Amino acid sequence: MPVALLALWEMASRLALVSPRYFPAPTTIGAVLVDRLAAGDLGAALLVTLARLGLAFALAAVPGVLLGLLMGIARPLRAAVEPYIAFVFPVPKIALLPFLLIILGVGEPAFVLTGAASAFFQIVISTLGGVRTMDPRLLEVGHNYGAHGARLFWKVILPAALPAIFTGLRLGLGLALIALVAVEFIAAKSGLGHLVYRHWQMLSTPEMYAAFALVGALGLLLTRGLRALQARLLSWQEESF
Amino acid sequence: MPTPAPKVLVNEVSVTFESHRRSVLALDRISLQAHAGEFLCVVGPSGSGKSTLLRVLAGLLRQSAGEVRIEADHPGSPLTAMVFQEHALLPWRTVRDNVTFGLENRGVGRAEREARAREMLAMVGLTRFAAHYPHQLSGGMKQRVGIARALASDPEVLLMDEPLAALDAQTRTIMQEELLRIWAALGKTVVYVTHSLEEALLLGDRIVLLSARPGRVSRIYPVDLGRPRGLEVRASPAYGALLETIWARLREEVVRAMAEDRGPDPDRASA
Amino acid sequence: MRRFGRWLAEHSIAVGSPLVLLGAWEWASATGLLREAFFPRPSTIAVHLRQLGADGTLWGHLGATLVRIGWAFALAAVLGVGIGLAMGLWRGLREGLDPVFAVIYPIPSILFLPLVGFLVPPGEIAVVVTTAVTSFFLIAFTTTHGVRQIDRLVVEAATHYGARGWRLFTAVLLPGSLPSIFTGLRLGLGFALIVVVAVEIVSTSRGLGALLWLSWQILKVEDMYATFFVIALVGAVLYYGLAALQARLLPWVQDVADR
Repeated sequence: MPVALLALWEMASRLALVSPRYFPAPTTIGAVLVDRLAAGDLGAALLVTLARLGLAFALAAVPGVLLGLLMGIARPLRAAVEPYIAFVFPVPKIALLPFLLIILGVGEPAFVLTGAASAFFQIVISTLGGVRTMDPRLLEVGHNYGAHGARLFWKVILPAALPAIFTGLRLGLGLALIALVAVEFIAAKSGLGHLVYRHWQMLSTPEMYAAFALVGALGLLLTRGLRALQARLLSWQEESF
Repeated sequence: MPTPAPKVLVNEVSVTFESHRRSVLALDRISLQAHAGEFLCVVGPSGSGKSTLLRVLAGLLRQSAGEVRIEADHPGSPLTAMVFQEHALLPWRTVRDNVTFGLENRGVGRAEREARAREMLAMVGLTRFAAHYPHQLSGGMKQRVGIARALASDPEVLLMDEPLAALDAQTRTIMQEELLRIWAALGKTVVYVTHSLEEALLLGDRIVLLSARPGRVSRIYPVDLGRPRGLEVRASPAYGALLETIWARLREEVVRAMAEDRGPDPDRASA
Repeated sequence: MRRFGRWLAEHSIAVGSPLVLLGAWEWASATGLLREAFFPRPSTIAVHLRQLGADGTLWGHLGATLVRIGWAFALAAVLGVGIGLAMGLWRGLREGLDPVFAVIYPIPSILFLPLVGFLVPPGEIAVVVTTAVTSFFLIAFTTTHGVRQIDRLVVEAATHYGARGWRLFTAVLLPGSLPSIFTGLRLGLGFALIVVVAVEIVSTSRGLGALLWLSWQILKVEDMYATFFVIALVGAVLYYGLAALQARLLPWVQDVADR
């Protein structure tokens, strides 16, 4: 089916049924894609975006999982922090960008932190959910078989929450990518998002679509890859969502 | 004088399941009958196809061979109504709306539906929970809703797939009494699948014993324990004798089924 | 009144903590512990917020954003549920569209702005359509999932009790998918807000995102905070509002699916 659509697009473009300037043929896009990758600039942009993503994710994942776990175990902490999480979670994190630009100046830290913020809240919420919705009987079994305190945590609570944590990480990564690309589109001077913007302004559409496709491929690979990893590592989990 | 046609006729019914590269014979040329107003129990080891037989009767499953015939004496009534082993209630409907689901689908009017729901819920002892949702009920209560649903549907033949298996022993005993009472009052033809021989003897007019897979009719036993029957029949010698006789046969089948599950002994493989 | 008092006591930490934080912020900002240029005092922000409201700027921008979200969400919801249901019911359609959707879905919505600009007349329509894109895929996906996760046994029992064809759809398939559909709608609405703000930053002059960016460019920090607060409020109302609606409309669903 996707092949059929691409073929349709190819034909429509070549026959000028749609404006070939706005909708260049897939083959043209493909050629440009290969070209630019070989020339290195597309690859460089990809690396920049990936680097930001990696950093943003690391910044979000570690504190996020930690906070989620702590909130799950310690009720007073949860009561204190939950309102902030609940308040900021539905806010588009892109709205944080101007603030970060003022405080940190226009540059990498502001970009990366916006992406990290996007992932952070999702990760906290998913992790917290994982701890809170675990089967309470598992805790009883743990106590009964001599696991208390730290051992209970490592041997029972953490593994039980792992599926939810993993899902949170996966969703968080996706959100970070979306936020980062948006930030690049709006404010950065490098990265795939920026490339799409620049080529859009210059109307060099084949390059624009090439960068666009690369972003899509990246997103697809990451989500699919993480999902496969999750299935592999957490093979005891029957339900996946 | 010619005998009237049986209410339920099963003639040389076989069911084969195909999956990927294997085909499994679940039922092998089953023949049996149930007469109008009879309480027929089906027992057998796990895997003997008891549930499969019931689903064929319900029309949920197409048999691979043989014929099934159910006499329809009451126009407007559905041929069968089944009480499922896993309740199968609609989670988005209240208990009352679940009970009247069948009636609703047949276009029965609201007043009559509500009257019927009230009656059936009273019969299974759930009047207080009419406006609850299934997820708020215990397993046993959900099962009772399933029974009420089947009864409300007023079918020609009532099919029950181990309806009391999930209940605790005390509730189960009460429900068994209830079922006897309800059945005596309504006079329905019932085909009742159960694991429990004691239950089959308590409730049934006849017991069909199925063999281990593939399920065949091993033996059909008449249960001459008198009607009306109550729990006290369990103390009677006739009951004890029947229990022993049938269990001897059933035990063989159960052991055979368990051996099947265990498979060849791995330690003996290379002797 | 007593009930409110009790609620307050139970949630004392949750209510008190932000108040304490605001108080600390006010103090830190006033004493210069926090640079007032970056972190203006909450009281000043409040004043600016009131000002924006009084002279009408706030309402104009808020209205523009809300209208866009409204249209985009309606578009995404109608198309998403419709196509999602169709895909859930007909395997052929699902297998055909699934790969296409899977490829398009992960792409950040804002990138669709150029594309949409080529297809539809630029301006409000382009903004609304771009905002609707990711929400559409989300809603379609959760709707399809909703149809497919209905317990087969329940469908079987319903069929056995006489529900066929259209009746089966209205009495069983549709209610059975509603929880999933609703989750999709909530997420979709959330995403619509995210995208609309981003698009407003890039390409419009009216709307909360535009206001935020404009305030940044002329360095009116207090207005930035005020606008952020309004955006957060909109986000909270939409998100938790729909959650409350779900609890109302779908009383049989016992867990909130997103946590």
